[in-house]
Amino acid sequence: MALIELSAITRTFGAFTALSDVTLSLPPGRVGLLGPNGAGKSTLLKILMGLIPPSSGTGRVLDEHLGGDRDAEGNWRLRRLIGFMPEADALVPGLTGVEYVSLAGELYGMPRRDATRRAHEVLSYLELEEARYRRVEEYSAGMKQRAKLAQALVHDPAVLLLDEPTSGLAPAGRDAMLRLVNALAVDHGKSVLLSTHLLADVEAVCERVVIMAGGRVRGQGTVADLCARRQDRFRLRVEGTATAEFRAELEGAGAKVLGDTGPGEWRVAVPAEWSNLTFFRAADARGVVIRALTRDDETLEELFLRVVGSG
Amino acid sequence: MAQTDTLLRYRPWRGVPRGPLAASAALARASLKLLVRRRLMWGLFALALLVFFFFFYAQYLVVWITNQLATETVRFAGVPVSARNLTRFLDRLALNGTAHTFGNFVWFQGYVLVIVLALAGSVLVGNDFAHGSLPFYLSKPIGRWHYVLGKCLAVGALINLLTTLPALALWVEAGLLYDWQTYYLDNLHLLAGIFGYGLTLTVSLSLLVIATAVWLRRTAPLVMVWMGLFVLLPMLSGWLVDATKYEEWRLIDLWNNLYLCGLACLSADHASVRPQPQPAYWQAWLATAAVAVACVAYLRRRIQAVEVVL
Repeated sequence: MALIELSAITRTFGAFTALSDVTLSLPPGRVGLLGPNGAGKSTLLKILMGLIPPSSGTGRVLDEHLGGDRDAEGNWRLRRLIGFMPEADALVPGLTGVEYVSLAGELYGMPRRDATRRAHEVLSYLELEEARYRRVEEYSAGMKQRAKLAQALVHDPAVLLLDEPTSGLAPAGRDAMLRLVNALAVDHGKSVLLSTHLLADVEAVCERVVIMAGGRVRGQGTVADLCARRQDRFRLRVEGTATAEFRAELEGAGAKVLGDTGPGEWRVAVPAEWSNLTFFRAADARGVVIRALTRDDETLEELFLRVVGSG
Repeated sequence: MAQTDTLLRYRPWRGVPRGPLAASAALARASLKLLVRRRLMWGLFALALLVFFFFFYAQYLVVWITNQLATETVRFAGVPVSARNLTRFLDRLALNGTAHTFGNFVWFQGYVLVIVLALAGSVLVGNDFAHGSLPFYLSKPIGRWHYVLGKCLAVGALINLLTTLPALALWVEAGLLYDWQTYYLDNLHLLAGIFGYGLTLTVSLSLLVIATAVWLRRTAPLVMVWMGLFVLLPMLSGWLVDATKYEEWRLIDLWNNLYLCGLACLSADHASVRPQPQPAYWQAWLATAAVAVACVAYLRRRIQAVEVVL
């Protein structure tokens, strides 16, 4: 069963098109939803939670069909499968941590006793057990984020939608949050859809990534595949006295040295018709030794900038 | 170590989820918890309790003086006073277990009630907007109306705690002070009337509180508008009626409309309602219903827009 299947989803608000022809098929697992502000991530999340219907197109989340009014019973069923951690503060000032999470459980339909017991368990799991009787407005930024994660987790959902879960966190808190999310996905089989503009968060947690810009999906696939997709970049390490001449010879053959990554280490972009033999012929001609020649995969950041920039 | 590890382990939950109405009840319970944690709220509860105790003991005093000292003259601050005159100042409150006893009690309790409700509105709804709590509620498997229902239930519980419940206590007390065997049986319509009055207050005021809180969100403007509705409009309506002798002007006084509806529930004679002239009961019902419908329409319009908050 696919986690998310969307077919030509479009959502307009008056004359403004927030999502345009979004088609996705994502298996269960850890998925990053990347995109700059205004890319359509939040609109997509709302559609996935059944909070707004798509203007056109069809889709399913864990076999629940999308569409219809947000108050339709099918959408309530859908939201029961999902734990949502919003980017906004979304706390209820005046309630203690355990009351807040317990209330979330009851809103998800859990009986009161189960919700309370489960709130204690989840807060302990998220290392908030010592703060559970403190009011949520007194929590630090990291504790607030974990309390928000706890309220998303209280009913043991199959899918977690996390909207900027590390927003406003110090590096240590950010690492801790990402470790938690990873553990939930890897150890407890939760599917995670992580919406963020922080590429490092996606790299740390996700197997797959969906890149959005301007309301469209610009790229999707596993992080490894997307970053390794380019065949035209190499990382080259050479030794010898005539490296400058070797470099000039390569450039003369159509290659482009993108930058030095160390003494005698270059990143090289090559044209489409390039043969790797050209490296060795040039080295032979200039008397340098090629110590390493590896494909230079893009970082996620480079991929993101290229994909978003090309739009 | 092994035990700690077990305790901190994530455990799944495999229960049967309940319907969204149960979620509304949970929301109401949490809302009441938020209210009773406000110190100001306890001060207002104490004030409301004072009003209740005044009616409770005054009703007892009137009966006691009438029965024990009816024909006697007592010395009050050295001055001989007829016992009957001691309670004459209470006559306007009709502390005799009739429809007007309960109507007057709710009328006076209303002064505290409107302040309590203004505060409740800002705490229960205004804070949800101010602190971004709406995404927390609306991302759950409940409808928007379940959110409104939960808040209305909390406000309704407050209203009944301050009006219906003490009015019931006064009814029970009246039965004990008079001939209880006949009072309770003869005045069952008053019991039903108290419930009817309570229901009218609950429905109309809870909708009004939630609608104004959704509109204004913050405490200060909420209290100002609320005071305008329940202090300025009654004064204005009084002046207009006096100036024009046109009793329909009283219909702009929401609290007076609710008072008339309450007296209608309690089967009070319309001619005995003070001050006169008053609009007909049906006109008060119509005005109250119109305000409630306007609140529902406004809430409907506003909650259609909440999808944009996430």
